[in-house]
Amino acid sequence: MNSVIFPRGRLLLWGGGLALAIALPLLFKSGFMVSLLCQMGIMVVFALSYNMLLGQTGLLSFGHAVYYGLGAFITMHTLNLIGKDGSPLLVALLPLVGGLAGMLAGVVLGYVTTKKAGTTFAMISLGIGELVAACALMFPGFFGGEGGVSGNRVIGKESFLGFTWGPQVEMYGLIVLWAFLATVAMFALTQTPLGRMANAVRDNPERAEFVGYDTQRVRYLMLILSGLFAGIAGGLTALNYEIVTAETLNAHTSGVVLLMTFVGGIGFFYGPIIGAILITVMQIVIGGLTHAWLLYFGLFFLFMVLMAPGGIASLIAVQHKLWQAGLLGRMLPHYLATALPTLVLLAGLVGLIEMGYALLAGEGVGAGDTATKVMGMEMQLNAPGPWAAALGVAALGLALTRWIGGRTRVAWNATLSTLHGDKA
Amino acid sequence: MNSPAIRVSGLKKNFGASEIIRGVDLDIQRGERHAIIGPNGAGKSTLFHLISARLPVTAGAIELKGENVVGLKPFEIARRGLSRSFQITNIFHNLSVFENLRCAVLWSLGYRYSFWQRLSGLKDARQRAEAVMEEIGLSRRRDTPAGILSYAEQRALEIGITIASGADVILLDEPTAGMSNTETEEAVAMIRRVTEGKTLVMVEHDMGVVFGLADRISVLVYGQIIATDAPAAIRCNAAVQEAYLGTSLHSGIAS
Ligand SMILES: Nc1ncnc2c1ncn2[C@@H]1O[C@H](COP(=O)(O)OP(=O)(O)O)[C@@H](O)[C@H]1O
Ligand SMILES: [Mg+2]
Repeated sequence: MNSVIFPRGRLLLWGGGLALAIALPLLFKSGFMVSLLCQMGIMVVFALSYNMLLGQTGLLSFGHAVYYGLGAFITMHTLNLIGKDGSPLLVALLPLVGGLAGMLAGVVLGYVTTKKAGTTFAMISLGIGELVAACALMFPGFFGGEGGVSGNRVIGKESFLGFTWGPQVEMYGLIVLWAFLATVAMFALTQTPLGRMANAVRDNPERAEFVGYDTQRVRYLMLILSGLFAGIAGGLTALNYEIVTAETLNAHTSGVVLLMTFVGGIGFFYGPIIGAILITVMQIVIGGLTHAWLLYFGLFFLFMVLMAPGGIASLIAVQHKLWQAGLLGRMLPHYLATALPTLVLLAGLVGLIEMGYALLAGEGVGAGDTATKVMGMEMQLNAPGPWAAALGVAALGLALTRWIGGRTRVAWNATLSTLHGDKA
Repeated sequence: MNSPAIRVSGLKKNFGASEIIRGVDLDIQRGERHAIIGPNGAGKSTLFHLISARLPVTAGAIELKGENVVGLKPFEIARRGLSRSFQITNIFHNLSVFENLRCAVLWSLGYRYSFWQRLSGLKDARQRAEAVMEEIGLSRRRDTPAGILSYAEQRALEIGITIASGADVILLDEPTAGMSNTETEEAVAMIRRVTEGKTLVMVEHDMGVVFGLADRISVLVYGQIIATDAPAAIRCNAAVQEAYLGTSLHSGIAS
């Protein structure tokens, strides 16, 4: 049906995405915004590379940060090696060095991890992740110990086409360029024989063997290529922050990229892009507002896993289907009606969490200040008043959400059956 | 060229202490349509699993077109031109019908693990997949995910994936199991069509199908082949009569 080489819709989408990425720092000039955008771009590449394993090949990895982190360290060392004799052009090409490092790590480590799929793969990836993280502490010469390895991305006497990569906005440009190229390459990969056979191996490894494919080889190749792109993301992060610490390759980073990818939606190519952007915003924006941000993060993840296991991309896909069938209009009022009590519930919960956090973590942490900032009120936490109020709001929100949510669910099921009825 | 398509000799398979295949000798000639019948649990599927390397052999030899294949991996045997279907449908559930078939032809067309070619540019793969789709009658389900096809459609796809690679030795494990009479008739006609000129080994319970399709029949009972012969001879074989006494063979032959 779709044998056009470059469907117009896709070109438009990609062009639009690139234009938006370029336009954003022109609209939001603050340093905070540009830094945020840089982090987003890096995480988009990292999460997409992760989904080459999870979504496309069915490999749940708990150690993907290894490829990202090694890419970052090698990039940083290469940057320092080039030193003053280098040029901005060389610096611009450094993420490729990170990519090659990630790829090489994939060649070596992937040979072990991809022997098996499923739970065994997950466990081995965890083990290898811990192993490399332990190495980072054992070899401070290479990994820089506690302080990490730092460098300076501005080298050489002349600029390259006017770029020195010194200003954050120039760094952002470099990130956009690499992120765009990497994204195009990763998408193209999904449209190749290897990419499709990875899906086949994900769905049914046994049958893939019986149509002539060595599933171990498919997994291995996908891991190597995934390591390449994770390494590119690592290279970008090294240049962006001009410092790489052991944190880059540890289990926490592996966990974050898993969350991003999952929340965004592993079943769609663009899912991890959404997840990376959203979680980065949450990390940085909510992280700046409250000390309890990890708690919100965890709750959000829990909510997503329970309510939308297909991720945000699958939610979008369903709405798109409804829209095409002319049914979205029927659901919109219900969405709005549910949003209101959900906000009430959320307000109550945030109040409880913030006050609880302030009380338990103590004033010394400064959590008390944040609580008042979020709620916009000064509060006496040793008096029952604020607690009762927050509890009341939460209870009201819960009751309303359940009541209206129930009706929305009924409408939702009816709409879905209409949708599927139409199709049959 | 005169070596048989499949030669099994002294084949044994134990699961723990229980012997399931207890010394099977079997020659399948090239271009032959061979049916394997026998009661439930006789070891027919296990025999297929051994030939196709889904299970490791305990003892004995298996030759494919004159070459020893014991110890090879399933994909290596597939690459040597043996393709099999499964009794329990074994397809790529999240991929569309078309993608299922295209995946099944990629290796045989030489695309291997290519990540530098666009799938949509591979005209031969598309045409081959579409031709098979036409043959198994699933063209109007082209973009439907395989997981939501009807049972009969999934069985057809199962056969489609098996024959798509163009392998010249085909093993089908109960291709018509669970089908209605009309569905069975259509499936048999389709199997006859798509295995034209190939070596076909088929496990089948429906005696009408077996006696209509097979050039020769082997009867597997309790892990051993008690008779291999032309349908007419099998019909009046005393040992077979005994093994099947009171079961569906009589009625199957009668009908
Ligand atoms: N993986 C296995 N482990 C243990 N026993 C098995 C296994 N697979 C099959 N069997 C046993 O081997 C016997 C033959 O099974 P099978 O080959 O499926 O029979 P058929 O296909 O002729 O109905 C059955 O008794 C079954 O329980
Ligand atoms: Mg069986």
